[in-house]
Formats: sequence, structure tokens, C-alpha cells
Amino acid sequence: MNSGSKHELPADSDWEQWLSRHAPALLLFARQQVKCDADAQDLVQEAVVESWRRQSQNAPPPLGLVYATIRRRAIDLARRNDRRAEREAESLLDGPQCWFDAGAEERERSLLLQKAMTNLPQIYRDVLTLKVWSGLTFGEIAEALEIPPNTAASRYRYGLMELRKLTREVFA
Amino acid sequence: MNEQEQERYESELRRTPPAPLPAHFMARLQAAKPGPERGSRRLFLPDHPSLGWRVLLHLVAPAMAVVLAGFLVVRLKVKSEGSAKERPLAATVGLKANDLQVDQELVSSFDVVATLPNGQPVRFRCRQWKDQLVVTDKSRGVEIEQNSPRVEVVPVRFETY
Repeated sequence: MNSGSKHELPADSDWEQWLSRHAPALLLFARQQVKCDADAQDLVQEAVVESWRRQSQNAPPPLGLVYATIRRRAIDLARRNDRRAEREAESLLDGPQCWFDAGAEERERSLLLQKAMTNLPQIYRDVLTLKVWSGLTFGEIAEALEIPPNTAASRYRYGLMELRKLTREVFA
Repeated sequence: MNEQEQERYESELRRTPPAPLPAHFMARLQAAKPGPERGSRRLFLPDHPSLGWRVLLHLVAPAMAVVLAGFLVVRLKVKSEGSAKERPLAATVGLKANDLQVDQELVSSFDVVATLPNGQPVRFRCRQWKDQLVVTDKSRGVEIEQNSPRVEVVPVRFETY
């Protein structure tokens, strides 16, 4: 009966492991939703903390829910134009952010992939990011983006083909 | 692109993982672990009986505010419309009622969604009723009608809703 009593805090180790595992992909997705990196970081933090708090048991939140929260918060943020414009202006001073891991050998490849992703329509980019780098199923992607699973699957196929065209020089 | 090509291309893409978090951001996230204060604030089904009152207060306070506001609005409306109808009630003393009719009319029904301080949503189902009382004294040829507004507010759990 008392389901509320099962609500416990995540242990430090669980919390940190979960963050290490998922936060980079969450930030990648958030960076694609907003132009300013500070906003992306805020989105990730808000979404992660809110999603964990919603859990009634000491279990990590479903990833689809976290991504959905990021997306909704990004839409809210876009409506607050003044604040966004201000922070975007600030972000220009920080220089461009790297979406992908730019190790010494892979730097050029990462930048080209980021450029290609930037040129993709957002509907494809979202699905590709969630599928390839977050490892979500089409069902979870559907939940995160509030679209039917079949739409997610077809967007993924089209998006993958488009990205392949754009990255021919990277993945020859 | 056939299935094999697709799989190969996907694994190529995965070879370039997302950028690691900036150290300051990782530290910020680690520090943002949901704390005990917020986590223990639950709306329904508390562990301890004394918490039940706190939960009840959480529910009752906004509900009472809605009831009071609704009552005042309806009361003012009825007063301005039907002050003439209220006057005969003063003369009810000594009346011998031949007929008494009690009626309840649902004026409106709506749901209100609010957010508690802990961010948890709560829904109230509000119903406005008009209770009607008609007293008839045929010997004097008097019919007295009294309308009383009533607001009913029921908190509804999101799960059950």
C-alpha cells in the first residue's frame, strides 16, 4: 500500500555511475537543442534531477523520460527569447563547443561529424543521436520525442542515409 | 544502404563518442544529487501517521482557498441577482408549508491542476452546485424559493485520474 515509503535517495556510487554512463550523451542531445552550452548544461542538470526525483523507488529514471524532459525544457527555453539571446551572446565568447570526443587523432573526424550533424534537419538529428550515441530503442525514442515508434524508425533510416552522404569524406 | 552497410556505418559513428563532460559540469552534476529534504516530501501515503496531517494540510489548504473563492464569487452573484427573493424569507415565521421541494442542480464541473511546493502535480475536481429549496403555503398563496450555492472540491490523485 505504502508505495511512497519505497522512495529512497540514490546512493552516491549509483548516482555517479549513472552520470558517468549517461551524462555525456545527454549533454550531446541537449547541445543540439540549444545554441548555448551553458543552457545545455542547465537543461541536463534540471532534467536529470527532476527525473530522479519523480522516481518512487530507488531506481534510475527511464532514459526516455530524461530525454523528453530535456526536449520540453529546451522548448520552454526557446520561448524565453531575451534570456536566450543574452546567453548566446555570452557563449560566443567561450568559443565553439565540441559535440564529440576530440582526441588528438580523431579531432578532425569529430569536427567533420559535428558539422555534418549540424547540417542535418533536427528531426533526423534527434533520432540519430538518441539511437546511435544514447543507445535508446525506437520505443524509448518515441517516448522522448513524443512521436510514434514507426516515425522514429523511418526518420532514423532517412537520417542515417543523409548523414552518410554528408560524411563520405570522413568515413571513406 | 543494405543492412550490413548500415551496421558498419553505425559502428563507425559509435567510434566517435560524445564529448566527455567538462570537469566543472561533472562536479556540478554530482553535487546536484537529489537531497533528502526534497526527496522525502511526498504527497500521498506517508510513512508516519503524523506526516499524514502535513500531507492533508498540503491538500486542504489549496482546496479551502478554491472553495472560499468559489463560494464568495457565487455568493456575490446570487446576492446581486436575487436580493428580492431573500426578503420573503423573513416572513417565513408562522408559515404553514403545504409542500417542500428540495433540488440540487449541477451548475458547473471543472478540474484544477496545481503544483505543490515539491513540484508534484495535484488535481482538484471542483463542482458548483445550486441547492434549491421551495416552500409553498397554499392557504396564504405564498411560495418561497431559496437558492444556495455550494462548491465541492475533491482532490484526485493523478494515478487514479
